[in-house]
Amino acid sequence: MLNAFKKLRPQLFPTLFLFLVFFFLYLPIIILLVFSFNTREFPAPWEGFSLKWYYELFHTPEIWVAFFNSCIVGIASTFICLTLAVFMIYFLASGGKIGKFIPIFYGNLIIPETVLAVGLLSYFSLMHIPLGLLTIIVAHTLVGLGFTIPILYIRYRELDPKIFEASQTLGASHKQTFTKISLPLMTPALIATGLVTFILSFDDFILAYFTSGSSLTLSLYLLSSIRYGISPIINALASILLIITCTLVFLFFSLKTKTRIL
Amino acid sequence: MSQFMRSIRLENVTKSKNGHLILNNVSLEIPSGEFFALLGPSGCGKTTLLRLIAGLETLDSGRILLGNKDISSQPAHKRKINVVFQNYALFPHLNVYDNVAYSLAIQSKPKDEIEYKVLKLLKAFHLNELIYKKPSELSGGQQQRVAIARAIINEPEVLLLDEPLAALDFKLREKLLIELIELQDKLLTTFVYVTHDQFEALTVADQMAIMNHQGNIAQIGTPKQIYEFPNSTFVAKFVGNTNIFTGSLEMLNEPRFTVPDLGTFSINPSIVKEKTIDPNKTTIMSIRPEKIYISKKPVENFSNTLTGIVSSIVYNGRSTFYEVLLNNKMKLQVFEQNEEHFPQETIDYDDRVFLCWQKENVVLLER
Amino acid sequence: MLAKRKRSITGEIKLSEANLNIDKLSNPTLTKKKKTSLWKIFKSEALFTIGSTPIIWQIIFFYIPLLILVATSLVKTSTSGQFIGLTLEHFYPLLNTTYLTIIFNSFGLSLVTTFLCLIIGFPLAYFIAFNGGRLKNVLLFLLLIPFWTNFILHIYAWFFVLEKHGFLNNLLLDLGLISSPLHFLNSTFSVLVMMVYFYLPFMVLPIFSSLERFNPLLLEASYDLGANHRQTLQKILLPLTLSAIRAGIFLVYIPSFGEFVIPELMGGDRNFFVGNVISLFILGEKTGPVGIAFTVLSTLCLLISLFFINRFFQYLSKKITGEA
Repeated sequence: MLNAFKKLRPQLFPTLFLFLVFFFLYLPIIILLVFSFNTREFPAPWEGFSLKWYYELFHTPEIWVAFFNSCIVGIASTFICLTLAVFMIYFLASGGKIGKFIPIFYGNLIIPETVLAVGLLSYFSLMHIPLGLLTIIVAHTLVGLGFTIPILYIRYRELDPKIFEASQTLGASHKQTFTKISLPLMTPALIATGLVTFILSFDDFILAYFTSGSSLTLSLYLLSSIRYGISPIINALASILLIITCTLVFLFFSLKTKTRIL
Repeated sequence: MSQFMRSIRLENVTKSKNGHLILNNVSLEIPSGEFFALLGPSGCGKTTLLRLIAGLETLDSGRILLGNKDISSQPAHKRKINVVFQNYALFPHLNVYDNVAYSLAIQSKPKDEIEYKVLKLLKAFHLNELIYKKPSELSGGQQQRVAIARAIINEPEVLLLDEPLAALDFKLREKLLIELIELQDKLLTTFVYVTHDQFEALTVADQMAIMNHQGNIAQIGTPKQIYEFPNSTFVAKFVGNTNIFTGSLEMLNEPRFTVPDLGTFSINPSIVKEKTIDPNKTTIMSIRPEKIYISKKPVENFSNTLTGIVSSIVYNGRSTFYEVLLNNKMKLQVFEQNEEHFPQETIDYDDRVFLCWQKENVVLLER
Repeated sequence: MLAKRKRSITGEIKLSEANLNIDKLSNPTLTKKKKTSLWKIFKSEALFTIGSTPIIWQIIFFYIPLLILVATSLVKTSTSGQFIGLTLEHFYPLLNTTYLTIIFNSFGLSLVTTFLCLIIGFPLAYFIAFNGGRLKNVLLFLLLIPFWTNFILHIYAWFFVLEKHGFLNNLLLDLGLISSPLHFLNSTFSVLVMMVYFYLPFMVLPIFSSLERFNPLLLEASYDLGANHRQTLQKILLPLTLSAIRAGIFLVYIPSFGEFVIPELMGGDRNFFVGNVISLFILGEKTGPVGIAFTVLSTLCLLISLFFINRFFQYLSKKITGEA
């Protein structure tokens, strides 16, 4: 029996460690979820199972306006980032060399978001650009670009260059090589990075905080409601957002093997 | 496939990369309809030459002509020249059918025409079971065939092959070499085959060119010409094995070659007559291992004889390879076919042996 | 069976007579070339424009704003907005202990957070990558979900747990372990907890990515040659994953420097960091040059600290890998 325990031992510490860390990571989330189903409002202890907070959630229009705004911002910034990335791919597929310029995108992820936000804020005020969803979108594209451009460039370079040469020798023009070969081969990576960009945008707080003007994204709405204290409606919202996150992560995972981003 | 084929001509082609001179004023004609091999050591520029013909790179100076037309500035996708790449470069996201059909689809040919041609070709290549498979699901040999099929379906004038068999194992390589020869026979398309493997080159080529490290063409000719009559030590040593003797040539009544500390050997006069031999510069005598007869007993009827001590024996199944230490400390390579099940004499290590050859079986070289 | 082929095996070198009419080899036509070159120029210009679009966007919305930021901090304008001259006067009010302490605090926060994330994150990545087995993807999946959940939501969640009338306090009260609610919030403890909670995945992911691609045969070779666990870890694993570790460190250190939400919400009034000051300046009053100067100053400090940290990291890695 001692032998069996000895066999377990090398696995004991890692398992314990993993368990503790994940417990730490998930504790608040699970508690949130659990109490979203409570009949009574917190801090009352657990009373019974109820969906009434979800009902309330769906009847609070401000939340859904903010949610909708966040979606718009996320989709728009992702769309812009991916379009710019596709331009880059087209350039590369036609023989362009852009490698030297990739490092200029590294700064987007390195700089603290606060500094970037302040910079954009003063820029927008100088240019007399009104703050609103558009400015948030612009801010988010920067973060997105810092992520998509270097990764997609690396991914493109990992492709066998002979494939494009084969396409050329078989008679395909640059445009045809791009549409038939480059783009299809890059699609999984495009989708994966697009997903990440969307999530980064949807979850973002700092940039929106500075550049939103009077518009509200979901993060900003949540901030203001925190200031009012705990509300079970937020719990309900949390569980819905969690489901959405799970779906997106799941989508990303199904692409993971094709893209080798992680 | 009986269209008029044009020959490829390279005129004074020079190409440098990163400051290194790769091709040095190379001129070459590749006759149409032939299986042409371009042989050379790694890094000699043969792949660069191939890529220049394909249009994947641009030349620094010189011209490339297809027949009468200067194609030097024509981009790759406009040339009717296709390439089979070393690692096949199959499109990973397309299945076999779409890979092969690619060049026809690019030209927007009608669907039924494409289908007809592709299926016919796949059948000829024994690939019709694999139509819907992706390249990652195929074996090396199958991928190879798909790559070739893809490159010939639009009936190019020239097919360039860049070490296409390098990634395959030996037996498969032998088989595919034969298939390639048969294919070229049928198509009569000009094949330009680049390799560093002299066995492959000698097997497939109607004509071949050898390139050296300096980016020049050392010799052009048929395989037999190159093997039996190399024009330099480089070619003699690169294609096959050879024994190199350094010495001096005397043209008396009969030409004789003297090697210090070893002896004097008679040369067949006809060798000297045909070529322009300068006795002052000719300092090398080359003789191939298979031209030497090895025996423990002295043999009559041979023009030249040496003795030595056997230092190394390598048994290769159908042949035995000997290394014999000569009086001048040189090691002579001898190749003997194992003709008999029960050989009349067995040669062993440290045996004293006689080495004989006929006086016409040597090559005289200047450097 | 060889192909039946008539091949010439005798004779001299014979160049093919077929197409060798040298006289007929004419010079390339010049007229055709002119037309193609104009079109080519147009095409290459269009291509260049397309390829440079991301770069242009980046310049317009990233580099120019930052340049303007730095410029604003160095420029003096009159009340009507007229440009007067270059100056450092906006920085003077900042050079007192209050502001410098704040910057110093932020360094402390980032460093501690980075350190904690490193000592928790590296083993985490290691265990998932090497001890995960079949659960590896599941664990990664579980790691990503909190990572991709809304930031504010996380804060809210911890709020929920740690608040005066929150879950943890209630639990402890009910269990009789404490008599009155503890103040988990408004303390450095809660700030740190939250910081680690939020930034941990940033450290884990690059390290995990590098470990996952690690060739286990290298480790086996090391054991085979007689090294034990510690030696293998130090001599083989660490050096090869060093760049990933550095990436993780930077991904945590830099953003945590500018972090203000977590301290503000979790730390209450006791903790005041660079981000808090910036947000106060910028959003509280008009975009005054002093606030911008502070932003520039703290960024400068950050960059300088980065340089030193990088140096220190290089020194550390040399020590670790260079040791016999």
